[in-house]
Amino acid sequence: MQNKLSFHQSSVSLEIIGLPDYSNNENKDQISIISQWKLTIINKPLIEGKIEHLGPIMNAFYIYSNLLIKNEIPLYESKLIDIKADNLHIHNIVLKSTKPNVKPLILKIGNSLLSDTINCFDQLNESPKVIIKKTDLSNNMTKKFRFGLNKKFKFLNFIMPPFIAICSLILFSSSFIYFYNPFENIEKKELINSE
Amino acid sequence: MRKSYVNNTIKINEFDALIKITAEMSRYLYPYIREILKSKEDLEENSVIWNDFNKRFIELIKERFNIDSMKVKKLLNRADNDEIIIKYLLTLSLCISNQGYQKLKNFLYYF
Repeated sequence: MQNKLSFHQSSVSLEIIGLPDYSNNENKDQISIISQWKLTIINKPLIEGKIEHLGPIMNAFYIYSNLLIKNEIPLYESKLIDIKADNLHIHNIVLKSTKPNVKPLILKIGNSLLSDTINCFDQLNESPKVIIKKTDLSNNMTKKFRFGLNKKFKFLNFIMPPFIAICSLILFSSSFIYFYNPFENIEKKELINSE
Repeated sequence: MRKSYVNNTIKINEFDALIKITAEMSRYLYPYIREILKSKEDLEENSVIWNDFNKRFIELIKERFNIDSMKVKKLLNRADNDEIIIKYLLTLSLCISNQGYQKLKNFLYYF
């Protein structure tokens, strides 16, 4: 018999179905092995999937909402889900199925439904009855996003040391020019020779 | 930005307390915040809620803020303030969980 937990926020509800991990001495009403989840948004098609899809979808919503609030370009793209803003009030969500020959599901939600959805995810994160492994959530940053960060970081690391080295070399060598005057030396030699 | 003759700097614990109160208030007022956001999504059907809120918002700003400040003037301009108000409401609506205080603090530090 599987456990079922629901989280509600206004027009959105999130249902988590799964089992406790008895090997970890968990209570029988806990869920740590999630077998299925369902996200119901009123007047929209049902969204459901396995645990490996829940993490990326939750992350997508969190990253997207952060981008929105921080005045950055509100666009999130991944293999599983794309979210972009149509305008200030409407957000376009494209859910791509992992099964072949299944068309992506396109949803348009407003700010009210977006905040309801994120609040449902918050309730799930804070629930002591559902244990989601950190790896399920943290490893789901888009490859594009992660790559972007790495690339920037590595590029700077790669370019900065030689750049600083060349600059300091030029700076030091140019200062030494004032100590050595080749014409003066030639004149001195000529004087010695004439003597 | 506030209409005040005393220029007091806020202490960190007072700032924290204000964030806690705001997060608690936004949890309590979430249904109203949500309705205001929703009314803006479909102005043809629910324009009354948005217009009433915007009117009251401007009234309060005029009453309590220094209207000579450029930032405040921007808030008072009905053509420009939509985006700012929506951002504020959305920020509050995302901070109603138990960790809402921390979330709001992070958002505020970013602003």
